[in-house]
Amino acid sequence: MTFYDWMLALHLIAVFAIASALVLYSALVVSGRRMTTLEETRTLFRIAPVGGPLIGAGMGLALVFGIVLALKSSEFKIWDGWIIAAFVLWALLAEVGRRSGVYYTAVQKLAESDAEQEVLTRLRASTGALLHVATVALFVLLLLDMLFKPGA
Amino acid sequence: MTVVAIIRPDSINVALLVHVFGAMVLVGGLVTAATASLVGWRDQGVTLQRFSYKTLLFVALPGWIVMRGGAQWVFSKEHLGDLPSDPTWIGIGLGTSDAGGILLLIALVVGAFGLRRARNGGSTVLLKAGGVIATVLVAVYVIAVWAMGAKPS
Repeated sequence: MTFYDWMLALHLIAVFAIASALVLYSALVVSGRRMTTLEETRTLFRIAPVGGPLIGAGMGLALVFGIVLALKSSEFKIWDGWIIAAFVLWALLAEVGRRSGVYYTAVQKLAESDAEQEVLTRLRASTGALLHVATVALFVLLLLDMLFKPGA
Repeated sequence: MTVVAIIRPDSINVALLVHVFGAMVLVGGLVTAATASLVGWRDQGVTLQRFSYKTLLFVALPGWIVMRGGAQWVFSKEHLGDLPSDPTWIGIGLGTSDAGGILLLIALVVGAFGLRRARNGGSTVLLKAGGVIATVLVAVYVIAVWAMGAKPS
């Protein structure tokens, strides 16, 4: 196995970490909309902290290994259109994901108080769900860009 | 439209997309189920164990089906069956996906009994067993992801 093979494998594992965090958050967003009590909501929120390190480390490592792959590749150059597009999508994904995280972290903090109705209303509001859907959509676009390599 | 026009996927890329997408949903479902099960391990209530089971059933299982179907599609499109012997990475991929599928089914059956027993106020041991299997499967599929990327000969 070459250095390039290792970088590709680690890049792929980092991308799977991002995907895992997004699936975890998706399950929480869907379940959160069906919550009826504050107690249930608090219980569910206890698994959310696992997503942070997964998506944080995944985003950072996918970028680093991706840059190494682009620099070491004999087939692609780092300034190829699809690679530039990947950087742009990565940045957008990070920003929209951050906003989604800020929204749900605020709801989680609110859940620690006794504001049951406010928490349930915010979990059912479209703002958080739309931010999350946008994050997932950007990830899927990034995946399409990586697989189809438009223009390569 | 310009973006759509310059993307001309060949059939292998479409098959690969299906395979990778299914694998991501599968691994994500397993990570979520394992996390919920472990976090809720000592809980008196079964909220997180039930959430873990439902994630296995409604996320991981469909993910496995899509991943395995996509794998077979890629295998067929790339004529990998014509090779005199399977490369190591294909052996690891097929072995982990099929063995993992059986383990996933066991987790679902065991979890279904556990869920039923927990609803009647009984033990949560079987429900937790499903979570333990999900945790083992996460490790198995991380190895599979590594093999798919590194493609050891």
